[in-house]
Amino acid sequence: MKSTPHIAHRHRHSAISYPISLSQRLYTFFVGPLLVVLILFIVVKFFSGSSFAIVEKFSLDDLVKALLATSLRLLIAYILALVVAVPLALFATSSRSAETIFLPVFDILESVPALAFFPILIVFFVRLDFLNGAAIFILFLSMLWNIVFTLVGGLKIIPKDIKDAAQIFGIRGWNYFRKVLLPAIFPELVTGSILAVAQGWNITIIAEVLHVYIPGGNASHDLFGIGSILVQAASGGKTDLFIVALVLMVLMIALLNFFLWQKLLRYAERFKFE
Amino acid sequence: MPNDSNLNEMNNIIELKNVSKLYNQPHQLALENINLSIREGEFICLIGPSGGGKTTLLKIIAGLEKETAGEVVKPENVSMAFQGGALFPWLTVYENVALGLQEQDLSDSKIKTEVLKYLEMMKMTDFALKYPAELSGGQRQRVGIARALAVEPSVLLMDEPFSALDAKTTAELHDDLIKIWRDTKRTIIMVSHLIEEAVSLAERVVLIKNSTIAEIFNIELPYPRREQGLAFHHDVMKIRREFFK
Repeated sequence: MKSTPHIAHRHRHSAISYPISLSQRLYTFFVGPLLVVLILFIVVKFFSGSSFAIVEKFSLDDLVKALLATSLRLLIAYILALVVAVPLALFATSSRSAETIFLPVFDILESVPALAFFPILIVFFVRLDFLNGAAIFILFLSMLWNIVFTLVGGLKIIPKDIKDAAQIFGIRGWNYFRKVLLPAIFPELVTGSILAVAQGWNITIIAEVLHVYIPGGNASHDLFGIGSILVQAASGGKTDLFIVALVLMVLMIALLNFFLWQKLLRYAERFKFE
Repeated sequence: MPNDSNLNEMNNIIELKNVSKLYNQPHQLALENINLSIREGEFICLIGPSGGGKTTLLKIIAGLEKETAGEVVKPENVSMAFQGGALFPWLTVYENVALGLQEQDLSDSKIKTEVLKYLEMMKMTDFALKYPAELSGGQRQRVGIARALAVEPSVLLMDEPFSALDAKTTAELHDDLIKIWRDTKRTIIMVSHLIEEAVSLAERVVLIKNSTIAEIFNIELPYPRREQGLAFHHDVMKIRREFFK
């Protein structure tokens, strides 16, 4: 059978594996992040020749606030992406003709790099004096297609018998969405969300450093966040600041992984069709 | 006073008149000119080679497929037990059985009474709080049948419900199904690919070949049929000859 592009996406996304055994979990949640921190610590100790004292104007408080600011942007962008992605995926798979028309369009749109829109977006948001909007919008765009395509894959593998059973037992409209579709795509929703948020963390490095895209822009145009601190520290040669910011970001990602995504992945097992 | 033919028609719960089904993608004639009357309370089995059209016919009766031509007269409350159960994996056994009832604006206590009644009938009360993944194939099928019966259907449709089960479980479920059929007096239409299964359960066996009804066999053996020895095998062989002709 010929594999369509959206199915290929589905295979790519569902290839994610996650720990099952206790030892694997311990490694992923504790040993892995600890090793990263340890390596970074050694690098700082031996190569920067300085202690972990936060340099110049950044205190640890500031870094934590920056991390929270970035996390908030990611959260808003993620919620927006979720709100848009679910109806888009439902609409695109609502009929054979909708699939024929919209899935290739989504494929093309996904292929266009989100950052290509960034200079235009910034001009727009500068005029509105809402630079956070530019960052959130670019994060939203970078997350959107990950969720859309995993959901499309999920919707397409709902067994025909399940849909038929829903029809036989009179589950229609909002109840069909709430009782059948949403639970049926829950595993893909979790997988897509993990991929989307990971993509968001990648993009945050760029999304907060706005001065690069503003004609005559300077560091004051950058948004306060862990991404912009990382870039400023790297470009200013402040290795210790860079390392601490990076460690904080890695810790945040590891904590999210441990307390949210892994729990959701385990919970999602119940929703999978055999 | 109605004459005999009118009386027969009045007792019929399902009437299929010149029903045909044509699929467009791929272009394929699934059913051609099907004429079949099913009496209220009758147990009918549709058998035939794969791709012959028996599941399509069942789905047309269920309202899951629309006939391309002809007329289908059937009651509103038709229910179905699916191959493999088609249970919702995120719902418990209780919640699965309650699914259809919840769409009928019934009170919670009424739903509970009905669910427990049919779980007991299918010997699944002890599993009410289990999830489908924790059940065996036979247990899932029992839940699927309980769910289908719980909505008190006039017609119960079954799409190869026992095809994935071992012989012992299948035999147990056959016995239970016959008991339920006799107790509830429901009309049952079942698709099967096994001639022995059809002969052991149904009053009439409808052989569907090449998209049309090839033959209808009346089975008049007393239950339990498999204990009828030669008479059972005689009926099986009679259908087998037509099946492979």
